[in-house]
Amino acid sequence: MIEVENLKKYFSTGILRKRHIKAVNGVSFQIERGETLGLVGESGCGKTTIGRSLLRLIEPTAGKIIFDGIDLLHLKKKELRRLRPRMQMIFQDPDASLNPRMKIGDSIAEPLKLQGGLNKVEIKEKVSELIETVGLNPEHVNRYPYQLSGGQNQRVVLARVLAVNPDFIIADEPTSSLDVSVQAQILNLMNHLKREFDLTLLFISHDLEVVRHMSDRIAVMYRGKIVEIGSVNEIFEDAKHPYTNTLISPASSLEDQLIFEDMKDAWDSGCVFYPRCPFNTVICSKKEPEMVEIGKGHWVLCDRVT
Amino acid sequence: MSLLTITHLKVHFPTQDGMVKAIDTIDLEIANSERLGLIGETGCGKTVLGMSIIRLLQPSTKIEGEIWYKGKDLLKLSEGEMRKIRGKEIAMILQNPTTSLNPVLKVGDQIAEAIQLHQGLDKRAAREKAVEMLESVKIPSPDKRANEYPHEFSGGMKERAMIAMGLACNPSLIIADEPTKGLDVTIKMQIVKLLKEVSRRKSMLFITHDLGVATQICDNIAVMYAGELVEYAKTEDVFKNPLHPYTQGFLNSLPNMGLKPIRGMSPSLIDLPSGCRFHPRCDHASAKCTIEHPPMVEIEKGHSVRCFLYT
Repeated sequence: MIEVENLKKYFSTGILRKRHIKAVNGVSFQIERGETLGLVGESGCGKTTIGRSLLRLIEPTAGKIIFDGIDLLHLKKKELRRLRPRMQMIFQDPDASLNPRMKIGDSIAEPLKLQGGLNKVEIKEKVSELIETVGLNPEHVNRYPYQLSGGQNQRVVLARVLAVNPDFIIADEPTSSLDVSVQAQILNLMNHLKREFDLTLLFISHDLEVVRHMSDRIAVMYRGKIVEIGSVNEIFEDAKHPYTNTLISPASSLEDQLIFEDMKDAWDSGCVFYPRCPFNTVICSKKEPEMVEIGKGHWVLCDRVT
Repeated sequence: MSLLTITHLKVHFPTQDGMVKAIDTIDLEIANSERLGLIGETGCGKTVLGMSIIRLLQPSTKIEGEIWYKGKDLLKLSEGEMRKIRGKEIAMILQNPTTSLNPVLKVGDQIAEAIQLHQGLDKRAAREKAVEMLESVKIPSPDKRANEYPHEFSGGMKERAMIAMGLACNPSLIIADEPTKGLDVTIKMQIVKLLKEVSRRKSMLFITHDLGVATQICDNIAVMYAGELVEYAKTEDVFKNPLHPYTQGFLNSLPNMGLKPIRGMSPSLIDLPSGCRFHPRCDHASAKCTIEHPPMVEIEKGHSVRCFLYT
């Protein structure tokens, strides 16, 4: 369904001394139809940048993105626009993703109107149908986002996304601003909708437990690179990359994180993880490791495992 | 010996839509060198409880009850007397370090400010102490870092700076309000470890919605729902033997416990449900639960619960 090859996105900063921040630095992965790929990593590792690049909400620096056989990066704006309904994104903060001055019903109707083809009555019907699908009450149609809770607003966002019948949804930390009991409601709803509408999902989160629950396969990201990708079992039972292990059992975490932060800009070669890696060698600081397939579909970016 | 005793505390905020009963009614004790976790979801009143202890709520707030600290009722102290306690005796580590630190002051100066005020040190000595504090929270090259502004710190480091500030005057009670919110897992664990270390031989009220973090630090846990406590127990008992249906539901909704949600939503604090406040969401609710408000009852030593299932 989605094929990403060597995707790169650099941001440049600084006025006098231009520097490049390599937010995404050569990432490749595929997502099969009907599959959920979980993307985990700490803040600032480039997860969100990947999500946005996939929809071309930001323009990638280099790489290839194939969506259902179509090369997205070579599409013109107009063609892209026609394709957009098939790919939708759910953002982190539901309260910020809804127009505060629009009633819930109008917010959900908006994409339907833009898409065209439906008259007023049909739109109204479709809206109430969507409202029910995501577990809201009919009376919510006339409310404003500030009158609803965070969890309810995230349901509205889901309804809005489903309105255009997408095939592929990118969910960027959809529950990170919600309480645990509400988070459970939303995640279960997403799983249910995924089955009902036969969706393909890229689920971005920093919470490994949540990703475990939602995904078929997991990609672990660190500083702009995917360091390990594999099935949920492979990642949780048989993680090979030292960073994945740190994420899984943070209790055994690394003390040197702070020292690492102090020297953040000091190195530019070798493995992305070597300053924090408990097993690093001299070679790691010089030679960039290559992605190696160690089991079917289980890839690791570490020279130590081969 | 208890260091802090809260009795019949009620905190109400008058608003346009009606009275918000943020706390209605809480009785709670924190013993010397006890680390108590206060668990609850957004809007249940946990931050308000912390704020009422150090009296940082706006003047229009209606507060009833007593908060006894070392033989004094904090609610009856004058603002001047309170100022001597706030920061020195009782320190609060606020949530969200990015907005709690002053962006235009150097981190070292912000820490030194409290030291100067409470310990009467001169500027130079206070600064030295500030650097020392930064070192104690394990910030590398503290001397250099003290001269930097908050935006030059990462999220985890800012949280460390907040902790350093809270500890600067060697308080007897620390109130930590969601100190690990918004931090990455690996950094979260470091902050937890640090808090555990620095709170040794001190009392701490640890406010959080993250049970995992609370278990690592706290001796006892109080579970709060809609402005009151619903369960109080030793940390391990809360996990092994949660009694209140809300505590059980809360645990079950965690991703590693099966992600089973509690139905419905937390009630509005303006219009609380009659009887047991949890009854509209409870699977065990009976007719009695809808009318009568259950009292907090000690089921076994050190384990209390507010639920008719056990009485």
